[in-house]
Amino acid sequence: MNSRILPAIALIIAIGIFFAYVHPAWTGSIAATKTAIANDEQSLDSSKRYVEQQNQLLIARDNIDSAHQKAIATFLPSSVDNVRLILDLNALASRSGISVANIDVITGSSASTNDQRSDALPSADASPVDSVDLSLSATGTLSAMKAFLVGIEKSARLLDVRDLTVKGSDTGVYDYEMTLSLYWLR
Amino acid sequence: MALLPTIPTSFVPHATLSDNRHVRTDFGNAFGFSAYIILGISFVLALGVFFYGRILAVDLAAKDAALVKAEAAIDQDTVKGFVQLRDRLNASQALLESHIALSGFFSVLETTLPATVRFSTLHISIDDAGTATVEGAGVSKSFNALSVASAAFAADGRIKDVIFSNMSINKNSSVSFDFSATLDPKLLVFSPSAKAEAPIIPTNASSSSATTTPL
Repeated sequence: MNSRILPAIALIIAIGIFFAYVHPAWTGSIAATKTAIANDEQSLDSSKRYVEQQNQLLIARDNIDSAHQKAIATFLPSSVDNVRLILDLNALASRSGISVANIDVITGSSASTNDQRSDALPSADASPVDSVDLSLSATGTLSAMKAFLVGIEKSARLLDVRDLTVKGSDTGVYDYEMTLSLYWLR
Repeated sequence: MALLPTIPTSFVPHATLSDNRHVRTDFGNAFGFSAYIILGISFVLALGVFFYGRILAVDLAAKDAALVKAEAAIDQDTVKGFVQLRDRLNASQALLESHIALSGFFSVLETTLPATVRFSTLHISIDDAGTATVEGAGVSKSFNALSVASAAFAADGRIKDVIFSNMSINKNSSVSFDFSATLDPKLLVFSPSAKAEAPIIPTNASSSSATTTPL
């Protein structure tokens, strides 16, 4: 009698061990751990590639002349800094020979519709450039005005004349009203 | 007549009880042996799964630690610097391609417009699409002078869709008129090599000693 009962009990225990521990552990925790390890390995590979690319980019950036880096930062600065720009416009106007009567920011003209300043990296879809308009009124001869326009066109900081009104007079001195767009990097 | 019990009733021999017992014993032994083998395999599998799980857990912990270390080695400021430089270069190129240079229009106007025609007001506006329109009012010495101006604009072709309207003859026989036109986008394209018709103005930070942004 015992010769049949004990093997049967052993078989039941074996089946129990398989279905209660071996199979659930293999398909459950072990499979999950293997997936996590695979993800980690993928991330580690990515981090290695990142380090390699970062080193390449650092070399490429260092190869850019520092004067050119300064020039590009002046061309499209990281802040509006319109006060300094107004001072520079005044200086340009005096060099060109026109008299500036008024310079002001046109409020509500900013092209920024959503403030995305945060510690998060900017998304690739969002435009990184913001702009605002300046109104300027001045008086001077046409040649002086052309000199002023050329100065704006060749400005180290990018400025676009969006609107220009010239009102003539018999004296050869004209009144000018213009709208300038200035840009900066968010 | 009854047969004696010692006399066999058939020639076919009966199976003995001891043979049945032998078959049952063999089957019982095989079943028992197999059951114990299966039990042993189960134990081995269980131990294997247990230790394999421990090894994987240790491996995962090591890789997690390496990943945290690699993540900590990434300097966010450096990444932001790269992103900002990329954005600055791309945006600058795009803005420079659409940079507006109105001085070209005045140069063309000076060379095209006859001296007998002059504007009293002029309004140039550029929309977001880069289309420039000109509206104004002026005075011409005569209709002929206005005709010459119109022909000159047509011949040049960069000041397009020129319309002189609302013309009226003044007491001194001059002609007042309103003016509207559109500008060829090529006329407004900025060219860095264009000859400056103005005092030279510093165009980069390194060429100016000024403390403010040079214009």
